[in-house]
Amino acid sequence: MSAAWRAGCAALLAAAAFGCVSGADDAGGGADGRKILRVAYEREIDVLNPFTSQNLADIQFSMAEGLVTTDEHNRYVPVLARVIPTERNGLIVRNADGSVDMTWPLHENVRWHDGAPFTSADVCFTWRFIVSTGSQTYNRDQYLGIRGCSAPDPHTVVFHWDGMYAYYDGLFEAILPEHVLGGMSTEEIVNDTPFNRGPAFVGTGPFRFAEWKAGEYIRVVRNDDYWRGSAYPAIDEIVWAFVPDANTRLNAMRAHQYHFARILPTQVAELEGVGGYDIHLISSNTFLHFDLNVNTERGRRLFGSRDVRAALFHAIDRRAIADLLMQGTVRVAETPIHPGNPYHYDAVPTFDFDPELARQMLDAAGWTVGPDGVRVRDGRRFAFTLLNRAGAADRIAVAQVIQAQLKDVGVEVRFETLESAAFTQRWRSGRWEAEVNAWFLPADPSLTGLYACDGPNNMTGFCDLALDAVMKASDRTAAFEDRKPLLDRVQAMLAAEAWSLPIYYNVVPEVVSRRIGGYRGSGTNFGSFWNLWEWTLDTPEGARTPDVRRALDATEVPDASGTGATPGAPR
Amino acid sequence: MIPLVLGITIVLFAVIQAAPGGPEGALLQSGRFIDPSVIEAYRHRLGVDRPVPVQYVRWLGSALRGDLGISFSTTRPVTEMILERLPATVELMGVSFALAAVLAFFVGILSALRQYSVFDHLGTGLSFLGIAMPVFWFALIVQLVFAVELGWLPVSGTETVGATSLGDRLLHLVLPAVVLSLRYVAGWSRYLRSSLLGSLRAPYVRTARAKGLDEVTVVGVHALRNALIPVVSIMALDLSGLFSGAVITETVFAWPGVGRLFVQAMFARDYPLLMGILLLGSVMVVLFNLVADLVYGILDPRIRYE
Repeated sequence: MSAAWRAGCAALLAAAAFGCVSGADDAGGGADGRKILRVAYEREIDVLNPFTSQNLADIQFSMAEGLVTTDEHNRYVPVLARVIPTERNGLIVRNADGSVDMTWPLHENVRWHDGAPFTSADVCFTWRFIVSTGSQTYNRDQYLGIRGCSAPDPHTVVFHWDGMYAYYDGLFEAILPEHVLGGMSTEEIVNDTPFNRGPAFVGTGPFRFAEWKAGEYIRVVRNDDYWRGSAYPAIDEIVWAFVPDANTRLNAMRAHQYHFARILPTQVAELEGVGGYDIHLISSNTFLHFDLNVNTERGRRLFGSRDVRAALFHAIDRRAIADLLMQGTVRVAETPIHPGNPYHYDAVPTFDFDPELARQMLDAAGWTVGPDGVRVRDGRRFAFTLLNRAGAADRIAVAQVIQAQLKDVGVEVRFETLESAAFTQRWRSGRWEAEVNAWFLPADPSLTGLYACDGPNNMTGFCDLALDAVMKASDRTAAFEDRKPLLDRVQAMLAAEAWSLPIYYNVVPEVVSRRIGGYRGSGTNFGSFWNLWEWTLDTPEGARTPDVRRALDATEVPDASGTGATPGAPR
Repeated sequence: MIPLVLGITIVLFAVIQAAPGGPEGALLQSGRFIDPSVIEAYRHRLGVDRPVPVQYVRWLGSALRGDLGISFSTTRPVTEMILERLPATVELMGVSFALAAVLAFFVGILSALRQYSVFDHLGTGLSFLGIAMPVFWFALIVQLVFAVELGWLPVSGTETVGATSLGDRLLHLVLPAVVLSLRYVAGWSRYLRSSLLGSLRAPYVRTARAKGLDEVTVVGVHALRNALIPVVSIMALDLSGLFSGAVITETVFAWPGVGRLFVQAMFARDYPLLMGILLLGSVMVVLFNLVADLVYGILDPRIRYE
């Protein structure tokens, strides 16, 4: 037996004997007393460039900052911008030809992690990159209304729009450094490994890139030169450990190996009673929905009638899905726009669970019950195939409930379950009949992309030109008081047409160590790490008084009118 | 061997391309709205809008020059990505194989020598349990017992970042190595038991005993050496996984090996990365079969290759 082997065995036995397995709440920080925040993250991200990454960019946002972010109340708040331009504060000017100039004042004392100053030239460079062909930016089309970008001084940037665009304040979620990437082509930036992988990655955020150990973790360390002041951030280091398996994340939190993790709604009960954590049910901007497709001749025959669609929706007990299947963690949805968003409209036509009414409506539409219990009309059975994404356990469970409840009113639902990439391909082709799917909406409430006749994500074949006109008008209206009535109409029309049945607003249970301070969970696509700069990590002895369980509710919007002090509140 | 590997690459490329969906699916994974022009530009940039034979010839041309291509999802060289994951896989698989070999030889030999004893029945029962038990389930059970309830071992990962030590790394290795070795122990010990029982009944063993040789020499030198030939075949095939990783174990224990990289590549339809990993696995299977053939010659001097 070699000396090295003997030493290894001795170390192993000693560690086991003395129970020195490092847990996040047991061992706390690093060996040198540094405050290390340990996060069990759901996946390994692809690249650090926030615009070319195809993942939600939580990790990137700890290092990179944009003009704006969204807070825990679904509001846009400025980051590198000093204030978000509005017509009221005079920073948005409408020109006689219909074009619009938007002026963004920037913070003046901001430096990139390599010490170079952040200026308005970086913002214009970022815009040029995004709109260039091949930038791979997922929402590139939303930037195409910007006709030009000018930098009158290093701390002011002006965007020249071809007209008013309501979502202008949700763009530029990160800024790229011109002094690092400026000499490259779009293709070179997309493929630039030093920037994508870390060594050359610089941002202006509270943490700097330190290490990316493939398949295991990304480590970021405190930016000592952070522009908000030397008191920030209060944490020395963050380790984003990649723990893809949901059960492993749950077990790791039970073993106190991490300070933060997202788990599944169905796992919440299993963590109750585990000390040291709060479970925050973050009401996400994701809504689950049941879609019917009229792209095919068969789809039009089955779902072409509004009354038939409404009958199917009345046969589905969404309350039972929310309360029993999802164990009361989610809220039934009536419209795609979340109740926490000030544009939510709750006076829409609803589809209460009423199987008897559903049967009557189907009878009236000529669908009579056949000998095998399935309805028939003109010799054709009322049967369709529901497309499922393999691995999406919650959606498949919802689909099973829908299948059983529609069977109860004489409608046969078959399943076709496809692996994720295959599902996406089929979905994009429009060759499917029904699906249970989910959309992750930004804080902006525009629904045009989902439901307009030419909406890039409308794969159902439904088209209503009158609705189109209202949706597109809402996109060109920025003032809250003008846009709200338009979006109210949109939601009412959508519900009245019964194209798609919203089922519930999803929740993301976030397990947060009681040692963490400053956490303000957010359900937008910016995620809960939007304010990492103000997070704290206490010693185990100094942990704050534990809450039994706190459920953040995004409906607690303090200022829905947009007249409050917070710049960027809904207009 | 070269035509065999070439044939394997053709089959692998065809199978990968036949799977529905493409790399553009990754763009929609996050559930965000996507500009459709971005999807088309993405497919064009990756070259997946070209005919499959053209894609294969391009890939093969690069591979013959030692370039396995650029990963679709990370824009990094595939060779670099595989090489950085190999140490973790070799570490885990190596320890698991060593552990499995020791236990399998112990259980297999003792079961054969004490046929129908309590130990033999126990070994048989546990072996079938080990073969039948799903790996992911066993992994979650040991996590619950040894990490959550007893707190002796960490749940996942290879180290506690910021507090790493040799002991810390070894502790992280215990659970995945035990889980991974279970299946090998179960399988190898069964083969060894069966093979050794056959050898023990052979005339040359009777002759050895008649010569007055002690039992250790009879079993260890005469019987075991011959009994190892079929076991070596099985072990050689399993050992090829030393470099291609353990997909389920690495995923459940968040172990940063090649197996987990394969899962990521599969879901992302990252064709170059998939081809790179599968090519590595295929070459290893062929190589270890060659090694097994060579070992036969050592174990049994009568076996010679012309």
